[in-house]
Amino acid sequence: MIDSGGHNPGHAESQIQETLNLLRMKKYLQTGLIALALLSTVSLHAQTPSDEILMKKYELCVAVAYEQGTWNEYWEGTSLRVNENIGTFTRVTLMPMVAAGITDKLNILIATPYVKTKSTGGQLAGVQGFQDFSVALKYELMKKAVGKGTLTVLGTAAYATPMSNYLSDYLPYSIGLGTNEITLRGIVHYQFEKGMYMRAAGAYLWRGQTEVERDYYYNNGSYYTTFMDVPNAVNYNATLGTWLFDYALRLEASYMALKCVSGDDIRNYNMPQPTNKMEFEQVGFFAQYYFKKGIKGLGVLTYYSQVIDGRNMGKSTNMGVGATYQFKVKDSQ
Amino acid sequence: MKKNIITLLSLFCVAVLITSCENDLPTRANFSSYEFSDLDVNGGTWKPVLLDDPTQIAIASPADVNSSTYQAELASLKSAMASLNGMQIEAVEYWTNNPIIRWNEIALELAAKYNLIPGPNPDGTYTLPNAANPAGPPPFPFAHPPYTCRMLAYLSVAQFDGLITAWHYKYEFNRPAPYVTDSSIPSAYTKNTLPSYPDEGAVLAVVSRDILNAMFTIEADYLAAKAEEHLNSLIWSGSNVTSDIEAGKYIGTEVKKIALARAAGDGMKNAQTSKPKSDSIKAAAFARFGWQWDNMESPVRPVGLTPLFGKVKMWNVPTVEEVRPGIPPAPGSAEFEKDAKELRDIAKNLTEKQRKIANWWSDGLSTYTPPGHWNRLAKEFMIKYKMNPLRSARTFAYMNMAIMDAGISCWDAKYYYHYPRPIQTIPGFKTILGTPNFPSYTSGHSTFSAAAAEVLSYIFPNEATYCRDYAREAAESRVYGGIHYRFDSEAGLEQGKKVAKFTVDKAKTDGAE
Repeated sequence: MIDSGGHNPGHAESQIQETLNLLRMKKYLQTGLIALALLSTVSLHAQTPSDEILMKKYELCVAVAYEQGTWNEYWEGTSLRVNENIGTFTRVTLMPMVAAGITDKLNILIATPYVKTKSTGGQLAGVQGFQDFSVALKYELMKKAVGKGTLTVLGTAAYATPMSNYLSDYLPYSIGLGTNEITLRGIVHYQFEKGMYMRAAGAYLWRGQTEVERDYYYNNGSYYTTFMDVPNAVNYNATLGTWLFDYALRLEASYMALKCVSGDDIRNYNMPQPTNKMEFEQVGFFAQYYFKKGIKGLGVLTYYSQVIDGRNMGKSTNMGVGATYQFKVKDSQ
Repeated sequence: MKKNIITLLSLFCVAVLITSCENDLPTRANFSSYEFSDLDVNGGTWKPVLLDDPTQIAIASPADVNSSTYQAELASLKSAMASLNGMQIEAVEYWTNNPIIRWNEIALELAAKYNLIPGPNPDGTYTLPNAANPAGPPPFPFAHPPYTCRMLAYLSVAQFDGLITAWHYKYEFNRPAPYVTDSSIPSAYTKNTLPSYPDEGAVLAVVSRDILNAMFTIEADYLAAKAEEHLNSLIWSGSNVTSDIEAGKYIGTEVKKIALARAAGDGMKNAQTSKPKSDSIKAAAFARFGWQWDNMESPVRPVGLTPLFGKVKMWNVPTVEEVRPGIPPAPGSAEFEKDAKELRDIAKNLTEKQRKIANWWSDGLSTYTPPGHWNRLAKEFMIKYKMNPLRSARTFAYMNMAIMDAGISCWDAKYYYHYPRPIQTIPGFKTILGTPNFPSYTSGHSTFSAAAAEVLSYIFPNEATYCRDYAREAAESRVYGGIHYRFDSEAGLEQGKKVAKFTVDKAKTDGAE
């Protein structure tokens, strides 16, 4: 199995992925249409329990990922359409992250994504800026041998809050959804004795309200307030992966879905708004490689994902690359 | 493991707590019944807008309070009030003793609901909303600012004339409210000495339902249900007996006929033109000035929004030409370049404050439009100054006539000058607000807002500075949003002020001062 920390540089990266995933989920929601594009792939992994893995105490991993998501069709409600006044939409995210082992079973993950949006059609200006600060705690609830492999159960609690005063009510260009968010996630990971593994995860996202810059809006009726309710959501995913070359390379295929539990639909030929019931399903691939020679602790990752179905979001294709560097702050022994 | 579960549970509780701390989001003006600052006992002598005189609508004398007919009505009222259920009590609380506020909210909500621009068909053509096929697609109407300002003007004028008529007969017949005649009858609202025959609430319920139904034809069921609840609440609240209500309904019905007759002939049905007509308007402007506005959307919309709204009959301005603003600076001129540079500079260094002002006043698709924005403000003042329904109706009527006249004048300028928008004249220019489908000069927001602010300043002198500053902010907002040059906004403010003067002058002589 993927044992203890030192041997497997993948651990740290996995954590980072998880952070990415958490962030992504958030973003998805937040960015609505756009969100898909950005974080999707990575998120898949992370949100998924791709990281059954935990860093050991005193281990630290810093990482940065660059992601680009594009779409030229979006779902207005459940109906897929084009809009020449948006053309091709692009959302780019640069995400610095840190993950650290507080104990062997408890990790903390922090991320501060920077987002930039633009479109090729129409005259609306894109925006850029820091999105949401997120901090997540991941805890190993159980780990034991089952059959010929190892079963790990983990729980993640995450909190995210906007880092800047960006405007959420400017979808699809908004940097994010502009609300506080708490996520609780359960992860079940099964590692076969050879490199293969399976993972499934489910999460619930509590979102608060976002403050917008107008005090009237229509959401199946009048609202006389500068606050919008951002719908809560569920998120789930399944991943199949394997380690190759003595744990130097890891490959994953995944499915992920995010579904708001309430919300309204984008109105005919109108802009989206943070109250929308955003949903998507996507499939993706992910690869990570850890250098065994040269710089110890360095890893690179890449991913690709495609949204296959959705509601009130863009049909996004996402690509990302990243680098991770893992090291010990001090010896845990 | 147990510890883990406890940890998870605690986190869950925190999440639930945070969620439950959220504000309840208001969906209407938060107020309840209040004591009117004045009853306007001479209200029946005020000059109506459409009627020559209140006596144009004749109602029968009411039964005497001692008659058996009236006593039977009182008994029936008491019996209805004795067994109110929760929904009925809620309805009484909702409608309040100034229900014109609620009808205005309903009007604004329908405006927002129908303020959606039709998107392109798959072949790149556009289908316009059609009154003959209101269900669409696209549904009729597209409640854009010209449509909405006109809807609000007819609604408010009809309400006003109806209530002047009601006041006239109230003080002619002087039949007191049920709770005055019979002290055992409670009143859900603050008691007053306003005579109750005919009832003003019933006038409002019927006239508002019918005017709104004419403007939003597929909302008949919704409006009927609202009116029904309103009419019933007049009994449930102890305010009126059936004959009060029936007389009010009759007045409402008669007034709405007169209002809708004017609407049918005001020229609105010609406002959205064919493409050949639209092209000829554009060509005339090009021949006159050497520039023309073009729609910049993909696919291009063949016709701008209501090119002939400028020809619609005005309420208080004799001719639209006399309030037409002067010629704007030609594209490329030094004066133009100065304002174009300002737009580029703002776009480059937009401050958070500027962004906020732009969005505060965006009032775009799926909202109640700028006229709605001012109606919302007017309601807040009515509540603050404890206006009775008649005073409120007068405020809405004069403000919405001025706003509609401002809209007509603005549209006249827009299509007379046919001035290109910033996204057309400044290469590569990007905006934070969507550019509407009509020419730039003058700014509709500025014109509507200045007109509204002038009327509100006249009616609420203590709020004059606030209103005029607010209008100026609305005008600025379009510059910050990148969709108007400063000269569009400045000219619009002047124009709105000039237009509103006709309405304010008329208001000053209607006998209400």
